[in-house]
Amino acid sequence: MSLIELRSISKTYKSAGLDVEVLKDVSLRIEEGEYVSIIGPSGAGKSTLMTIMGCLGLPTQGIYFLDGEEVGQVSDRELSRIRNEKIGFVFQAFHLLPGVKAIDNVMMPLLYSDKVPKDAKQRAETVLEKVGLGHRMGHTPGQLSGGEQQRVTIARSLINNPKILLADEPTGNLDSKNGVEIMKTFDQLNREGTTIILITHDQEVALHAQRILTIKDGQIESDQWNENFQKSQASPSGSGVE
Amino acid sequence: MRIFRNLRQALRGVASNKANTFLMTLGIIVGIGSLTVIVAIGEGTKAKVLDRISNLGFGPDSFSVHAGAGRLFFARSGATTSLSLQDVDDIRALPTVRLVIPRQRKSTRIIFKKEFTNTRVYGVTPEWQIARDWNIADGVFFNDQHMERKRRVIVLGATPAKKLFIGTDPIGKMVRVGDVFFQVIGLLEEKGLTESGYDPDDRTLIPLTTSISRLTHQTYLHSAKVMALSPALVKKTMEDVSLILRENHNLSPLADDDFRYVTPEGIMQWVTESAQALNRMLLLISTVSLLVGGIVIMNILLVSIRERVREIGIRRCFGARRSDITQQFLFESVFVALLGGILGTAIGLTISIIFQRFDLLPTKITWEPFALAFAFSTFIGLVFGIQPARKAAMLSPEESLR
Ligand SMILES: Nc1ncnc2c1ncn2[C@@H]1O[C@H](COP(=O)(O)OP(=O)(O)OP(=O)(O)O)[C@@H](O)[C@H]1O
Ligand SMILES: [Mg+2]
Repeated sequence: MSLIELRSISKTYKSAGLDVEVLKDVSLRIEEGEYVSIIGPSGAGKSTLMTIMGCLGLPTQGIYFLDGEEVGQVSDRELSRIRNEKIGFVFQAFHLLPGVKAIDNVMMPLLYSDKVPKDAKQRAETVLEKVGLGHRMGHTPGQLSGGEQQRVTIARSLINNPKILLADEPTGNLDSKNGVEIMKTFDQLNREGTTIILITHDQEVALHAQRILTIKDGQIESDQWNENFQKSQASPSGSGVE
Repeated sequence: MRIFRNLRQALRGVASNKANTFLMTLGIIVGIGSLTVIVAIGEGTKAKVLDRISNLGFGPDSFSVHAGAGRLFFARSGATTSLSLQDVDDIRALPTVRLVIPRQRKSTRIIFKKEFTNTRVYGVTPEWQIARDWNIADGVFFNDQHMERKRRVIVLGATPAKKLFIGTDPIGKMVRVGDVFFQVIGLLEEKGLTESGYDPDDRTLIPLTTSISRLTHQTYLHSAKVMALSPALVKKTMEDVSLILRENHNLSPLADDDFRYVTPEGIMQWVTESAQALNRMLLLISTVSLLVGGIVIMNILLVSIRERVREIGIRRCFGARRSDITQQFLFESVFVALLGGILGTAIGLTISIIFQRFDLLPTKITWEPFALAFAFSTFIGLVFGIQPARKAAMLSPEESLR
């Protein structure tokens, strides 16, 4: 059984009395450990697709299986647990808690775990250092630049060691140096077994993935394997499979 | 424990949304503070009146009859020339009456050399001292001889005595009341301020005959105090007094009385009635003030709810359950209500105590307004704080993040 399986998923938004069909009959399987990038024009439905894969909202039609469970049939409490334990989100719009320090924003998901790890604070510091924000831990989102806020959201998505990382434009606000650093982090996580689904407009970023999905008008236009993908790519000392 | 984590989040939220917390707390402070002060004033006024009654010197066997129609101390008409010396003589002749003390009364200025004070001057008969059972601290009370000869003698209460005579012995000195000089022959024992601030010592006494000829220049009485032979005879005596007065005053059977009684029971009843009226008014005012506080809180919560819905969405994306959200907002509301309640109470108490200290208004502190205000502000917090939060928690995270 696949880690993610979408069967004929449709999503319709009602806005101003008008029905907007954002996703049209999308079917898709993603296996554990895959590294997928999603590209496509603005407004194509990429973020919407991620919302559904992350159990943040239910599809209008179709069935979604995540890790063997049918999401539409699961209780809200159970969904909360799934979001908490299995999924890490990086939002396009950051969605940080306003007025809350970076380190506390990063630790927030741990609050909703069954048990808060003893080293929660240390873990938060570690991930913040990993994204290059060791010197900004006490700042609130309002005191951080767009790129810095983006890196806080990435740190937050990593804090609970999720099985699946859903990242919507994680490098959109970053300069090339920071962008490269973040991508190195993602590559490393994937090598360690994390399933990564990455939305991007940047061709180069998309090429970090093993599989590239192109979405257009709410449908999957193409689903290609990246010929150049090598598990060892970003790390010369890697295992060098393939 | 999850619940403690939610409590901590709530406290942090309160701390990081300082402006909101401040305004909401302010709303509650206004509500509870004004309620505290208003109720304290109401209770204080009631206590003062009760206190006055016990200092009027009514035993269970006595009542007074006052000139003029009306009720208790409040004459309905200005014409209070209805109680005469003849009336008093007739009342005194009743078999159930032990003593009658006729009284004239005038509020006026008393002068000694360069000192002066405004006080009440009563013209009474020597039996007054027996009826009131009030001891003489120095000198003597006037006697029947002073009465007969219309002597210009005066007995001072402790308050005017202190104000007029600084460092001198008042006995034997001459004081001026209006145009007339009186010799001080006695000082009343000091009773001291009552709890509510009423001063029973602020009075002076002269013989009734002197009062008639020198002070008021008329024979009509302000009132008369009647002591029956026993408490059981009070009611019968009052009926007889009514008959005498109505006959003496030639009142037709249909006419209203042109006199009124003051009895401890009458005062108690009046106090109860006015306390009820006061309570109704206080209830209205405090409801308004609480509503104002409530509306403030409500508005702030409604304004901030958009932002809070987003926060709820974010937390839910990362694993917060609906119950976590409810708990967090419950704690927040309760905390703000408590904070506002405590500060409002403190401020209200301070103002009440200041009123008391500086003699602005009588106040008395009771616990009811606090209970009411706490309950109300908590209720507002629950309805306007938690209900929208619960509603937002029912949405999917995607919907609350829009
Ligand atoms: N809540 C909503 N109500 C109505 N329409 C919506 C809603 N959310 C998204 N849409 C519409 O759905 C379409 C797809 O939106 P989506 O955010 O998934 O696009 P996207 O592919 O992520 O675009 P971008 O690359 O600009 O982020 C857009 O046309 C958008 O206007
Ligand atoms: Mg998008």
